[in-house]
Amino acid sequence: MFGLQVGFDRPQWLLALILLPILWAVSFRSLAGLGPYRRLFALGFRTLVLVLMVLALAEVQLKRISDRVTVMYLLDQSESIPKITREAMLKYVMEDVAKHRRKGDLQNASEDKAGVIIFGREATIEYPPFADEIRAVGSGQLDTLFQMRTDATNIAAALKLAQASFPEDTAKRIVLVTDGQENLGDAKTIASTLVENGIGIDVVPIRLSATSEVAIEKIALPADIRRGQEFQTRVVLENFKQPVKDKDNKIFDTGEVTGKVTITRSVGGEQALLYENTETLKPGKNAISFRDKIETPAGYIYRATFTPNDASQDLMQQNNSATAFTHVRGKARVLMIVDSDTPGEFDRLADSLGKKDIEVVKMLSNQLYTSLAELQAYDCVVLANVPRANGVLAANVEDTASFTDDQISMLVRNTEQFGSGLVMIGGPNSFGAGGWSNTELEKAMPVDFQIKNAKVRAVGALAMMMHASEIAQGNYWQKVIGIEALKVLGPMDYCGVAHWDNFSGKEDWLWRDKKTGLGLAQVGTSQKSMMAKLDRMQPGDMPDFEPAMMMTYKELFKCPASVKHAIIISDGDPSPPGASVNLFKKAKIKVSTVAVGAHGTIEDTRLRGIAESTGGKFYRATNPKALPRIFQIEARRVARPLVKEDQNGIPVGIVDRRHEMVGGIEGEPPPIKGFVLTQVKENPLVEVIMRAGAMKDAGPENTTILARWIYGAGKTAVLTTDAGQRWATPWQDGWESYDKLYTQIIRDVMRPVNEQADYSIATDVKDGKVRVVVTALKKDGEFLNFLDMSAVGTGPKMENISMQMRQEAPGRYVGEMPASEAGSYLLAINPGKGPDGKQQPPLLTGVNVPYSAEFRNLETNKALIETLAKFSPKGGQPGIEMPDFSANQTAIDRLIGAVDTFRRTLPKAMSSTDIWPLILLLAAGIFLVDVAIRRITIHFYWVAPALAYGWGRLMQRPLEPVRTEAMERLRSKKAAVTSQLDERRASARFEPQVDADAGGPQRELGDVLQDATGGSSNAPQQQSLHPPPTAAAGPEQDTYTERLMAAKKKARKDMGG
Amino acid sequence: MPRPRLTRRSLLQAAALTGASFFTGCGSPGGETGRLDAVWGRPGTTPGKLQKPRAITIDQHDNLYIVDVTPRISVFTPDGEYVRGWQTPKFDNGKPSGLSFSRDGNLLVADTHCARVLCYTPDGKLLENRTIGGIAGEKPGEFSCVTDCLEDSQGNYYVSEYGEWDRIQKFTPARKYVSQWGGHGSQPGQFLRPQKMDIDDQDQIWVTDACNHRVQVFDVRGTEPKPVTTWGAEGSSPGQLRYPYDILLDGQGHVYLCEFGNHRVQKFTLAGDLIGWWGKNGRGDGELDQPWGITQDSQGRMYVLDTYNHRVQRFWL
Repeated sequence: MFGLQVGFDRPQWLLALILLPILWAVSFRSLAGLGPYRRLFALGFRTLVLVLMVLALAEVQLKRISDRVTVMYLLDQSESIPKITREAMLKYVMEDVAKHRRKGDLQNASEDKAGVIIFGREATIEYPPFADEIRAVGSGQLDTLFQMRTDATNIAAALKLAQASFPEDTAKRIVLVTDGQENLGDAKTIASTLVENGIGIDVVPIRLSATSEVAIEKIALPADIRRGQEFQTRVVLENFKQPVKDKDNKIFDTGEVTGKVTITRSVGGEQALLYENTETLKPGKNAISFRDKIETPAGYIYRATFTPNDASQDLMQQNNSATAFTHVRGKARVLMIVDSDTPGEFDRLADSLGKKDIEVVKMLSNQLYTSLAELQAYDCVVLANVPRANGVLAANVEDTASFTDDQISMLVRNTEQFGSGLVMIGGPNSFGAGGWSNTELEKAMPVDFQIKNAKVRAVGALAMMMHASEIAQGNYWQKVIGIEALKVLGPMDYCGVAHWDNFSGKEDWLWRDKKTGLGLAQVGTSQKSMMAKLDRMQPGDMPDFEPAMMMTYKELFKCPASVKHAIIISDGDPSPPGASVNLFKKAKIKVSTVAVGAHGTIEDTRLRGIAESTGGKFYRATNPKALPRIFQIEARRVARPLVKEDQNGIPVGIVDRRHEMVGGIEGEPPPIKGFVLTQVKENPLVEVIMRAGAMKDAGPENTTILARWIYGAGKTAVLTTDAGQRWATPWQDGWESYDKLYTQIIRDVMRPVNEQADYSIATDVKDGKVRVVVTALKKDGEFLNFLDMSAVGTGPKMENISMQMRQEAPGRYVGEMPASEAGSYLLAINPGKGPDGKQQPPLLTGVNVPYSAEFRNLETNKALIETLAKFSPKGGQPGIEMPDFSANQTAIDRLIGAVDTFRRTLPKAMSSTDIWPLILLLAAGIFLVDVAIRRITIHFYWVAPALAYGWGRLMQRPLEPVRTEAMERLRSKKAAVTSQLDERRASARFEPQVDADAGGPQRELGDVLQDATGGSSNAPQQQSLHPPPTAAAGPEQDTYTERLMAAKKKARKDMGG
Repeated sequence: MPRPRLTRRSLLQAAALTGASFFTGCGSPGGETGRLDAVWGRPGTTPGKLQKPRAITIDQHDNLYIVDVTPRISVFTPDGEYVRGWQTPKFDNGKPSGLSFSRDGNLLVADTHCARVLCYTPDGKLLENRTIGGIAGEKPGEFSCVTDCLEDSQGNYYVSEYGEWDRIQKFTPARKYVSQWGGHGSQPGQFLRPQKMDIDDQDQIWVTDACNHRVQVFDVRGTEPKPVTTWGAEGSSPGQLRYPYDILLDGQGHVYLCEFGNHRVQKFTLAGDLIGWWGKNGRGDGELDQPWGITQDSQGRMYVLDTYNHRVQRFWL
């Protein structure tokens, strides 16, 4: 009834109802004294109480059955599907929802819901399930697409996300629009779980035609090439097109595709064209090969591209290029990364190293490496006063440059796994002052970039003000920015987030310090909880900047940090601030402003004005992905106290004279003018070689100038002063050991060279697997057998990979591993102990998987589509494999007309509410009624006369008196007897000392009764003969109260006497 | 001094009151002195639904005109039945946030981020020749963020705006610039976000000075506007204000203020003395979440835009 059912969470308790007969048996006897009606009522209520208590113990629930349906559309946006088809999917969804969704009415929430999930490599919710039509906002494009990688198909991720996003109170169906070309996850397993939970799956297939496609399969070239050695380069292309025959079985299309094949070779940003020719590709595999020779030692990247003459012959562009890399060994090579804002800063050092036969390649921070493979060409990487993010002077965020997390990870892996050296040289943009705190790089270095010494007031405070943005994704990016800022801050720094609290209707802090209650709290160990709060943040629509800025100012002003900074992130439409700007200015606290989705130039002006007034910086972010850089830049402002400068000179001492880095250097180095404070890691592997002289406010653990340690397969070193541009000028100008020191630092950490044996390595990628073959020979040409060889490395997503090598023939070792992702797979092969019994340095190799499997399999996976559609949800009917999806309107109309995606063939949703507390309350109430019935007598003798009276009045009949004389007499007599008896009892109880004779004429009870029954007619008269009691009357006429008073007085008198 | 005694009678009275409140609910929903009459509206982007509605006004037939952030202007009956709707022509930079009717029955739309006031017939036809402004700037006749527009008895138009220049500009019936007053600040006569205006029968303009948490009144009958009165103090206690976003004069000597920050509607005398209030923060019936607008129909029923609950609540106060 009304879509409601009753259920029980612990139905076993219902067995307690067998106690009812016992209750009845016991109660029927014990309640006998109550009379028939009361006993019946008491028994009924007692039964009800027991039943209700049993129901409460069984945890009775009210179950609501809903007829509503929610459909989640899962749209495959992977690049194996033509772009035009992907773009048409949203249109299909909008029209399908508009046609089939049950709309209910505006007053009742009985509508069906629809939502959209898009997926590629990952899955994201485009529209959460909502009781409304799906409407494209703005350009009609998918909003969340920019967050997602589309170079793979992960149907399983989309199915899981759909399951998690379904509302509870509706039936659930998934409409999956896909080509079924799954290359990540296992959709079948997830689908079987979904149907177990009653979720139906319909599939809309997308048919792919692989007949017009050309793909470059690989570039094959040796991984390690000797200088001047001629070698063969081979490019393999596959033409998927097949010859087509007419009705007469004559070939009218040979399937050949003509296009231009180009092969280039690049090194250090310079590109050379090696091969360019128009080729006609036959159906199947085609190979193009040519010979090449390299004279200059370096790392080289080869790229092959195919451009079809007729674009319709090759629909997919992603698989038209492939890269491979190799390197030619020569003298020591160093990659020096310098700040693109000051590109010439370390030229003097580069010249100096060059003179010592070390080749230095300079890389600007705005043209950074993009793969780990590029770093393999170098034996050491030097970060020369380069900040994590530059662009303090840039006008737009997009003009800034920064190391991404991946690039930092590449640097570290290059040392940890592949044995390269890594040196960080100081300057005001390095270490903690360069925003490198809390990065993976800090972990790899022998010193920490954050100071733990309380004497050093190197503490920053960063306050962020968040205001809701009207643009799509605006609030999401605010969270991203905030989290990036927190990552950069150190444990001693203060951080606070001011936002508009929707509940209290005023500005407030997102978190507060538990001890101080202040919004600016020390990051300490709370970084993760702060991040979680930021992630949950829903910034409100702040009407006015001023109160929030004033609140921020007050806390920043009081904060003990030595550098304070505020950032406002807003779309700029709150009312502009007033006096607070001057307060910030006066306190020299800079306010940077970030316009996220600002409404226009006026709002821009407002935010720019705040920044310029306080000396901060204004950023206008048009590309949200660039936003996190803002905080990497801004965090450098709060890290300034880490820089230690003294123009009078800071003495430097050599701590460990036996160390190779300072070997042959006589005496102490000249004083320097500055360095960056750091904290030596508490690890016995750390070797501190040079240290600044004693300081008042910094301990020896903070004044490291030169330190080194071994990190994984390589070494890392820090030099906290610079190379002579600002701080180490006395070293550069006239210190004879300048060149020696810097050269020895670099040479000490450089990648070691294997000189014990000759190894040749061959790699190949086939069927999604990487195969590595190593041939090991001694210097005298004999095979090296029984080596304990293994390999570790890094995959395209910087994930760790490992591979076991086994010996297959004399001196031949083979290993294999899966390679499903596109990108570079780099391996460091550990050859084990050499002929001399010592551990040998790792051998480096790598392969490039040119493109994802997404672009390799070019046909619809019919089997998967059919399997998914055949799944039958528990309690419902199986899904449907719908007509093929196509981008044209006719096909969309046909599809929508063919199947009602909101059809009622699924198990109905049931939501339950616990009602046992109410039942228990009811039982308690009824128990009281039960007690009342047993304790309070309610008779119903008046009912019959009342009904008779009512009936008489209704019929307008005069009521006949039914009294008789006998009855009247009987009542009168009864009243008199009762009165006399009462008087006697009262006299007997309260006047025990009164003489019986003084009581006047007394009648016995028997006499009275005799008078009453004897029909004496003078009885009423006799009663009236008694005079009314007066105050002067004797004791026999006193009232009960008077007698009581008299007795009381007498008792007092006696006691007093 | 006699101490209060716990008597059997007082115990019985307390029990009776507790029981009564248990069975009848805990007071009237939503506020102290108002009474909820109806709740309607559901979130969504299709016709008849609302997505963060930000301004409301009413025509002489008691039809309600509501603009939301989609941004659509939707027309509803007093009981929430959808009548018609349309969208403003340009909304890339932001959405309108003010609605009012001119004396000739046309709808004036404060197109906030397009620096102009649009004029529509009640059926939704844009009267382009009646647009006021359109140029963003600080010069006379230019606008920053337009919040509201109204017309006086002489047919002059007054347009309020905030931004760098929080001010009210006056235009002739032919939409020519006449004068301006205000300025960014908290002194009397200055504004911090003049969010909404109403005008009484003596041509006095009542302005909600939202970020100053007060009401300012100006007599605009002469050539220069004369300040008449100002009242209001920031706070959340009854009688205090926090971000009053809309104002309504009922013609009976009462002022109603809709508070964005305090999630309520307060009723005052013209002198600023509190008469009553209704609403508290929440999602239930009779509860409000950051309301932006208020209006009243011919029967005296109040309508409040419960913005973040995407609905309208009708009540008596």
